Amino acid sequence: MTTEALRAETGTAPREDSAEAAVRAFFAAYRAHDVESMVDLCADSAGFRYVPFEVWGRQRVLYGEGQVGTVGKVIWTTLIDAFPDLTNAVTSLRADEHGNVAAEVGIGGTQARPFGTIASTGGHYELPHLFLFHVSGDGLIDDIVAYWDNVDWKWQLGCLEVD
Amino acid sequence: MSARSLAEKFFAHIEAGEVDEILGLMTPDATVSLVPLNRHGPVAAEGASYLRELSRSFPDLVVRVRRLFVTGDNTAVAEITVAGTQAEAFLAVADQEKHVDLDQAWMLKVTADGQISAVIAYWDQNQLYRRLGVKRLDKVTITAR
Repeated sequence: MTTEALRAETGTAPREDSAEAAVRAFFAAYRAHDVESMVDLCADSAGFRYVPFEVWGRQRVLYGEGQVGTVGKVIWTTLIDAFPDLTNAVTSLRADEHGNVAAEVGIGGTQARPFGTIASTGGHYELPHLFLFHVSGDGLIDDIVAYWDNVDWKWQLGCLEVD
Repeated sequence: MSARSLAEKFFAHIEAGEVDEILGLMTPDATVSLVPLNRHGPVAAEGASYLRELSRSFPDLVVRVRRLFVTGDNTAVAEITVAGTQAEAFLAVADQEKHVDLDQAWMLKVTADGQISAVIAYWDQNQLYRRLGVKRLDKVTITAR
């Protein structure tokens, strides 16, 4: 069967295929704790926004927002350090012909060190996430947004403070 | 109706508190998954009760669609911001007339004949609690004054 025939049967277009491939490679690198490869799959100035990531201090609020090469890389590295067995499973993946990709991903791990305001009690968590990517025409991720529920996460790790 | 138009209509009805109109956009057996509330089931039950409570508790609700795209399987994926001022208890949190703005992501699976067959919504309930004045997750009904 030809590639074109396969595309006709699955209803996907080349741009959708390459965008999905980039996202699958990203989560494979994440599973391997290979942060450098995660960053390499992204454009140099790729945007990054982890929506639930808010740290409320007395003077200001810090948001998990910026660029992959700065904020994203630091958060991923810190997460892997705090949860050394951190892993993920992509449960659904859908893309459009403009490079937008939505990925539902289960992420879990066992805590070995504090993470933000969550002190380590050795707890384990499993948490559904929704990631929204944009992948450029040359196959590089140029935007990452993620949503999850911190209440569920904190309950599983024994942290009951909102802030 | 296209998946994009259907999604725009869906969020406009949420803003207006028009739950029956939302149900009219759905297949009879449509499902909903409100992930942070761990509510999963028929839209007519789980979804409708949540939307009615949202509308009652935030009568000035505004829903702003920030990003909307439709994937190859005809799923509308939207990033929205919901904003409003609390006027009644919401999800067991007492009313302190707090203003809330909360970013959310929704996926609406749309059938070939233009009906929504499934809704999946993600947001951070911790952000909502913070904005409503909740201090501890085990004492959601007791809020700071």
